[in-house]
Amino acid sequence: MSAKNSKPKTKNSQDRRIWLLIGATALVAALFVPFSQLFLHVEYDYTLRTVALGGALLGVVSGVLGCFAVLRRQSLLGDALSHAALPGVAIAFLLVGRDLGLLLVGAGVTSWLGVYFIRLLTNTTRIKQDAAMGIVLAAWFAAGIALLVYIQARPDASQAGLDSFIFGQAAAIVERDVQLIAVVGAVSFVVLGLFWKEFKLITFDAEFAGASGFRVNLLNMLLSTLIVVAIVLGLQLAGVILMVGMLIASGIAARQWTNHLGQMVILSAVFGAFAGSTGAIVSAVDADIPTGPLIVVVAFLLVVTSLAFAPGRGLVWMLLRQRNDRRRFAAQTMLQDLYHYATDHGAADTAAPESFLFGVRGAAAKIGLQQLHARGQAQPRDGAWMLTSAGIEAAARDDRNNQLWSVYRQYADDLDLPSVAEDRQQEVTQVLPADAVARLERQLDRLRTAASDVTES
Amino acid sequence: MFQLEELIIQFLLNFVAREELNAFLRDPRNTATLVGALIAVCGALLGTFLLLRGMSLTSDAISHTVLLGIVVAFMVMSSLFGREPSLASVWLIIGAAAAGVATVVLTELIYRSGLVKQDAALGLAFPLLFALAVILVSRFVDDVHLDEDAVMVGEIGVTWANTNSHCLDQCETVTIAPDDARAELTRQCTNCRELGINPRDEKAEFTQICTNCGEYSPAQAWQAGFTRTEPALVFWPKSITVMAVLTLLTLFAVVLFYKELKLSTFDPTLAAALGFRPTLLHYGLMVLVSLVAVGAFDAVGSILVVAFFIIPPAAAYLLTDRLPRMLAYSALIGAAGAYAGYDLARGSFLGLVRVSDLLTGLNDLFGLDLVEQWDSSISASMVLMIFVFFMAAWVFSPKYGLVSTTVRRSNQRRSFDNQVVLGHIQHHQGIAAESDELAVSTLHGHFRWSPAKMERVLRRLQAHNLVQFEDDFISLTADGETHAHSFRQNQLTNETVVE
Repeated sequence: MSAKNSKPKTKNSQDRRIWLLIGATALVAALFVPFSQLFLHVEYDYTLRTVALGGALLGVVSGVLGCFAVLRRQSLLGDALSHAALPGVAIAFLLVGRDLGLLLVGAGVTSWLGVYFIRLLTNTTRIKQDAAMGIVLAAWFAAGIALLVYIQARPDASQAGLDSFIFGQAAAIVERDVQLIAVVGAVSFVVLGLFWKEFKLITFDAEFAGASGFRVNLLNMLLSTLIVVAIVLGLQLAGVILMVGMLIASGIAARQWTNHLGQMVILSAVFGAFAGSTGAIVSAVDADIPTGPLIVVVAFLLVVTSLAFAPGRGLVWMLLRQRNDRRRFAAQTMLQDLYHYATDHGAADTAAPESFLFGVRGAAAKIGLQQLHARGQAQPRDGAWMLTSAGIEAAARDDRNNQLWSVYRQYADDLDLPSVAEDRQQEVTQVLPADAVARLERQLDRLRTAASDVTES
Repeated sequence: MFQLEELIIQFLLNFVAREELNAFLRDPRNTATLVGALIAVCGALLGTFLLLRGMSLTSDAISHTVLLGIVVAFMVMSSLFGREPSLASVWLIIGAAAAGVATVVLTELIYRSGLVKQDAALGLAFPLLFALAVILVSRFVDDVHLDEDAVMVGEIGVTWANTNSHCLDQCETVTIAPDDARAELTRQCTNCRELGINPRDEKAEFTQICTNCGEYSPAQAWQAGFTRTEPALVFWPKSITVMAVLTLLTLFAVVLFYKELKLSTFDPTLAAALGFRPTLLHYGLMVLVSLVAVGAFDAVGSILVVAFFIIPPAAAYLLTDRLPRMLAYSALIGAAGAYAGYDLARGSFLGLVRVSDLLTGLNDLFGLDLVEQWDSSISASMVLMIFVFFMAAWVFSPKYGLVSTTVRRSNQRRSFDNQVVLGHIQHHQGIAAESDELAVSTLHGHFRWSPAKMERVLRRLQAHNLVQFEDDFISLTADGETHAHSFRQNQLTNETVVE
């Protein structure tokens, strides 16, 4: 049980857990296809296949890159940058017309300018990052709206669908768009792989990275550029407002399951793919349900599940642990209370009146007595509680352990005892070596005799 | 609301004639600017505190999620009462405010779990609520006045047209009953649709209905030609009333709780220790932000209202260190942006440049084919003008601006150079190595400066009559001596003070 053995063990079991989780997610996703066909009557036509594939790919790209936004506490950067992409779409349209690739390049350029502006503003003034993001978000978006309204007033009708970038329009996605997402996503993964070590370093300890001679500013901009790429790819599907949800939700969910960056990124990619594909499939149930928002809802459900059930830090486990601790503590307290009351009032099996116990300990008394009763250590007798023989034994052991610990605290130096952390939940006789325990017990006996001498005289 | 408008109108009529008031309000520009300015004042009052509390983006989140409140209230209203409420209905406003507070509560819940950072919690909460709103809108609310463009952009340009009419004189309400001579009667088939038959069919049954029966307000009656004398009417835009009420409410709240807000913003711990209930203030602020967001929703749309909350306070933050001035400046910047924004939307940038000229120039320069007529969104243009003012504040602010910072830095650099050279000369005057240390031709080497820079510094020192040259040697003048001495004194006293 020592710390040395447990560390590699938890790492192994954690690794295994991640693979299990990935497998489970893939299984649910795979089972979801026949389920949706049978019970939701979804038809897997060309459009749905394309949209689901696009959603899954996009989930992978934004899941992977979103991890870094989450870890660097820049979650809302995604929101600012997706809004900042809008004027780029409009300008690119004005200059070259409706070509998705070029529209996205335009979007990338303005949203990258947004990143640059935020950095400049926070570096040269006392405006904080959140306000700087808000400024970029509002001003760039206003420019985008102004340009879109101007474009809509044009005589030709070719502008149709530009405002689908605001809310996202999944149905407009065609096979070429999916290819584009795949290719650009692959390129950004290659860049991510090349600079993996550097990105990891600036994410967790930027000052150390700077001191070690890495070009932190340049790397920051590169990483932000990759995040911009993820956002721009997602615009058409999710729209500028919901893109931030797609970007960070799967990263936050993945963060709950692991403490390793590599595992987090892989898990986040899987979660993203899951949310993207199932969101797209569910939205096909009814033509009125928009895809982007549904993907965000699915991703949020993943987050809630992870927050609740992630091993170790999940809320459910935390609540269970708290309840157990509370019960154990109450039982221990009541055991001692009953024992001390009884020994103070005669024999160890004297019953203590319930009103007294409740008056002293309140609600904890009820929980504690229930626990003791269940364990067979205490039993009620007309409005009072008494310890059973097993209870007396346990209480005496507990009491002696406490006294030994108290002696240890006071005389550890005098008796030349080894230094251990004081943890009264453990038996001091188990923690200390045998000869030390013997010395400790002799000291306790001496103290007792001295005390009883004083009382007698 | 209606009575309030009456009161305002009665008050205004003490100063202006009715016709002038009508003409003023009927001009889209006046109404748009007025509404914009009122939003700007609300935004400035609340946004300043948000900025100082580091919560600017909360206003962004809230302005998104009020949509959910509006949609839910809308659905509840139409299913319970069977009628569609108008966007200014009190219930919608309450629903929206509740959604705004729900956003903050949800964010806090996620954050309090201790598993998610604050920014990520906000980034999770509002896309979710917004996504739910979009799903509800597209799934359940079909043919209503909740279309997405209105949500995003708003319709500040037509606020002048959405009015309540108030009658002052010659008021005559008219009720047309079916037996009235003016009633227009027509026959309608009662069972055609049921039976699926043509009205010409023999089985068709008819009933007489009145198409124009009902009550007519004085304005409607005059318009329909039922009254002979023209009533004295004032057409009052509804948005002005809504925003005016919100502005008064915000102003009242900020004035009343000024001390508490100030303290809990700058020192939350002290505020809590003194018993000022910072949490209560926090939620109060959030309720106000939600109310303003939904009030402005109709005019500028849900996203651009964020600009009014964030940009003017940020500009004011660069201009002053005093809270009251910051509040005033940001209100002024917001209002000025609203005024200038209307012009920009109609194609004129501050009356200096015409946007269409710019477009022509672009077309000529790059051979583009842009439409040269510029007519764009008014609310977006207002935001752009506010942003222009922000940039001006950033560049020209006397204390924190780019220009003044650059000038200050270069002054500091110069005076530092001067001090270093004066100190060097004073240090080495009259010692054995003097000839080596104080030779003008090799002086730059001691500072590791370029000869050109050395030359510049020396010329400056000479111009101030602090140094003198003899052959190749440099020495301090009497002035220079005092200067270097007092500098050293200062250094010493400073060091003592620090110690």
